[in-house]
Amino acid sequence: MSGFSVARAVLAKDLLLDFRTRDRLGHMAVFALLVVALLSIVLPASRAERLAWSPALLWVVLLFTSVLGLSRSFQSETEGGALALLVQAPVDRGWVFLGKACANALALIGVELWAGVLFAVFLDVDWSAAWPAALGAGVLGALGLAALGTLLSAMSVAVRFREFLLPVLLFPLVLPVLVLASRITGEALAERAVPALWWAAFVLYDWVFALIGYFVFDYVLED
Amino acid sequence: MRPRRWRRGPFLRELREGALSAVELREVDKDYGPVRALDAVSLSVQTGTLVWLAGANGAGKSTLLRVLGSLTRPTRGFVTLFGVDPFSGGGASVRGRVGFLGQDASLYGELSIAENLRFCARLRGAGAAELERVAAELELAPVLDQRVRTLSQGYRRRAGLARALLGSPELLLLDEPWNGLDVESAERLTRLLVRLRDAGGSVIVAAHAASGPLPRFDRTLRLDAGRLHADGVAA
Repeated sequence: MSGFSVARAVLAKDLLLDFRTRDRLGHMAVFALLVVALLSIVLPASRAERLAWSPALLWVVLLFTSVLGLSRSFQSETEGGALALLVQAPVDRGWVFLGKACANALALIGVELWAGVLFAVFLDVDWSAAWPAALGAGVLGALGLAALGTLLSAMSVAVRFREFLLPVLLFPLVLPVLVLASRITGEALAERAVPALWWAAFVLYDWVFALIGYFVFDYVLED
Repeated sequence: MRPRRWRRGPFLRELREGALSAVELREVDKDYGPVRALDAVSLSVQTGTLVWLAGANGAGKSTLLRVLGSLTRPTRGFVTLFGVDPFSGGGASVRGRVGFLGQDASLYGELSIAENLRFCARLRGAGAAELERVAAELELAPVLDQRVRTLSQGYRRRAGLARALLGSPELLLLDEPWNGLDVESAERLTRLLVRLRDAGGSVIVAAHAASGPLPRFDRTLRLDAGRLHADGVAA
């Protein structure tokens, strides 16, 4: 079986499980709604000030929301012992990682779109001119978060305090994603050109963590 | 630290000379923190053998099966399945020759049995015809479209067994396979294991004596506190 077929099978299975249970996506969506609603109350009323804060706040909201989803990324595997099914499969486990990371990235992109709508409604952020670059930052940010988050989620799957351990490991490592994504979003909202170097750094970061996950996942899955 | 007795040279020479067996373990230890679950276990299982892995609770039966199923890397020692180290780069190919059923069914509760088996069949390179054959053999047809979490323990066990049989494994590792099965299903499983052995497959079953209608095993391995104590023909 080719690696792509393995990744596609794992991706399709994870999407079906997300669709069936809905709790992971539902929890992320409600959490994002609550936080953005709170932000709309506590932030200054001035539109210029809200606009200045929005890129950083958007990505902090997305980071916290993503932790909520990523920590449940292996829940379906641990509940029925299905992790053994993946570990024992006669496939390159790196492709299993890529399939799961893609499923997480798609879920995060969905949450990003939802958060974009919430920021437009509650904080009056106008995406009309900024959406192409913001969408690019969103996709790259989701890929980076998913690559790193899937790996760390797998590493913390057998740990008692995994809800605590995942953010502790994830936040420092994901800092470049947070900085690049919020800077690009800020430049896009200010209708300024985004330096090509930022995009290159973003792609490089995602690529490096996808590669690390691909090669390390084999060892992470075993006891 | 206890001195090691194995030497790699003779082991590799035996492999080169064609003395291949389904399972070879040499001085395998498995530690979970300070607890030694397996202690210097050496074992060889030829193809076409039905093996009973006996022992009290906590003796290390499940750990040994997990090591053989490539789910747990041993702390020390050598493991080969069909002459290949399952924890090496070539491990993926040999995992396809091994079916594993642990104490859980290892299925997704929110997917139906059919969806679970289709997913496993894709990963294990099994076709639709094989999936149907295995499902028919374990009489899963009435519940194929039901979600696993809604099923009884017995059906879950049978579905887990069907999953383990996908890909026509040459080595089957079963941990308490009779648990939760009714008498008829347990007897059917016993007949299935004998048939697999007669067809040249190797089957290692971890079970208590009172687990179910045990077949006549070719060998009995007894584990006690992680050490392999007895190795002989079952009475």
